[in-house]
Amino acid sequence: MRIIQRGRHSIAVLVVSLILLVPITARAGLTDIITLINTITSTIENTIGTALAAMQTLDASLNDFRQQVLFPLTLINRAKAFVGQVRAQFTSLTGQIHAIEISSATLPNPQQLEAVLRHGQSGDMNQVATGFYKVFTPVPLPSDAAPADRDLVDVDDAMAMSSIKLGMISDQATQQMLGVADGIERAAATAAPGSAPLLTVQAEVANLQNQAMLQRVLASELRQAAARLAHNNSLRKRSSAATRQLRDHMQQILSRP
Amino acid sequence: MSRMEKFRQLFKKSVTVPRGKGALALALAVVLMVLPFAARGQLGLDPCCAIIAAGLDSISGLLNSVVGKPLGVIQQLEQDAANFEQQVVYPIKAIDNARALAGQMQAQLREMTQLYQLPTGSATLPGPQQLEQALLSHNPQALTQITQNYAAVYGQIIAPGDAQQDMRDFVDMTDAEAQAALKKALELDAIADVELAAADQINQQIQSAAPGSAPILEAQTGAWLVRANAYSQSAMAELMRVHSIDLAGSSAQLKFSAAQTKALRTSTGQILAR
Repeated sequence: MRIIQRGRHSIAVLVVSLILLVPITARAGLTDIITLINTITSTIENTIGTALAAMQTLDASLNDFRQQVLFPLTLINRAKAFVGQVRAQFTSLTGQIHAIEISSATLPNPQQLEAVLRHGQSGDMNQVATGFYKVFTPVPLPSDAAPADRDLVDVDDAMAMSSIKLGMISDQATQQMLGVADGIERAAATAAPGSAPLLTVQAEVANLQNQAMLQRVLASELRQAAARLAHNNSLRKRSSAATRQLRDHMQQILSRP
Repeated sequence: MSRMEKFRQLFKKSVTVPRGKGALALALAVVLMVLPFAARGQLGLDPCCAIIAAGLDSISGLLNSVVGKPLGVIQQLEQDAANFEQQVVYPIKAIDNARALAGQMQAQLREMTQLYQLPTGSATLPGPQQLEQALLSHNPQALTQITQNYAAVYGQIIAPGDAQQDMRDFVDMTDAEAQAALKKALELDAIADVELAAADQINQQIQSAAPGSAPILEAQTGAWLVRANAYSQSAMAELMRVHSIDLAGSSAQLKFSAAQTKALRTSTGQILAR
C-alpha cells in the first residue's frame, strides 16, 4: 500500500512538472516577445524618433539662424568691403587735410624756428633753444637785469621751450598713432567676426595710450597757464615791494630836517 | 484479464521492484529531454521564430529610418555648423593675424612711450632749473618740493606791511592756483605713466587672447579709458580754474586801480582844499 502511494506521488510530480514546464512556457514566450517587439518599435518610433526629429529641426534652425541672422556671409563680406571703401574714401582725405602746410613765418629766424617746431623730429629738439633764442633773445646777462627778473625770464622761456619740445614729440607720436589706426583698419578689412574682438581691444588699448599722450599735452598746457599766472602774480609782488621801498624812501626824505 | 488490467499489474510490478526508482527518474529525464523547446527550435518550424524575425526586421527598419536617417542629418548639420564656425566666424588664420598685429602694435606703442620720456627741460639758471626738474619729474613725491621751488622763482607771499590785505589775499589766491595747476600737471604726468604701463600689459595679453576672452580685455580697457577720461576731465577743470583766476585777477587789478584813483582824487582834493 505504501509503495503504491509513493508511485502515485511520483506520477503526480511528473504530471505537474510537465504542465508547468512545457506548454505554459512556450505560450508565454511568444506573447512576451510580441509585446517586447511592440514596445521597442513604439519606443523607437515615438520616443526616440520624435526626439531625433525635434533635434534635427532645432539643429537646422540654429544653423539657419547662425548663417542667416547672426553671421550672414553676404553681410560679413559687405562689411569687409565697406571697411575698404571707407578707408579709401576718408582715410586718405583726412591724411591730406592733416598734411596741409600751416607754417606762416616770413623772416629767416622765425622761419627757422618754425621749421624746427613744426616739422622737427624728437632728434631735432636740441635745435629748439638755438632757434628760440634767435627769435626771442636769450636770458639777460647778470649785469643787465636783476636776479629775480632773470629767473622769471628764464622760467618763462623754459616753460615755452619745454612745451615746444613736447609739441614736437606729440606730433611724432601722432604720426605713429595714425599708423597704428591705419594698421587696425587694414586688419579689420580682412577680419572675421571671431577675430574682430581682438582688433577692437587693440583699438581700445591704442585709445588708452592716446589718452595718456593727450594728458601729457594737457599737463604741459597746465604748466604754461600756471606759469603765466605766476608770472603776473610775481610782478604784483614786486610792485608791492617797490611801492614799499618808494614809501620808505619818501618817508626818509620827508623826515630829514 | 483485460489489457488494462495487465498494464496495471505490470506497473505494480515495476514499482514494487527495487529498480522502480531508477526507472521513474529515467522516465522523467526522457520527458525533460524531449521537451518542446529543443525540438521546435532545432527544426525551425516554430511560428515564434518567424514572429521574432519579423519583429527584428521591423526594429532594424525602424532604426534605419527613424533613428539612422535623422542622426545622419543631424551629423551633417553639426558638420556644417562646425565648418561654418571654423571657416567663416572663427577662422584660425584671421585670429592669428589679429594676435600678430597686437605684437606689431606693441612695438609701435612702446616707441611712442619712449618718445615721451625724452627730456624736455630747458631752464638755464639754478632756481628755474630746480623748479623745472620737479615739475617734469613724473614723480608724485616731488610735489612737496614745488612750493619751495616756486617761491624761489616767483617770490614769497607779500609781507603784511607791504600791501593792503585784499591785495595780499588776491596774490595768495593766485599763487595757490598756479601751484595747484603745476602740481596737477605733475600728477597727470604720473597718471599717464601708469596708464601707458596698463596699456602695455593689456596689449601683451591680447597676443595670447582668444575671441572669447577678448571682450573681457575690451571691458577692462574700456574701464581704463573711462578712468583716463575722468583724469583728463579733472585736469581740464584745473585748467579752467587757472583761467578763471587769471580773469578774476585782471578784474581785481581794475578794481584796485579804481580804488587807488579814488584815494588819489580824495587826497588831491584835500591838498587843494587846504
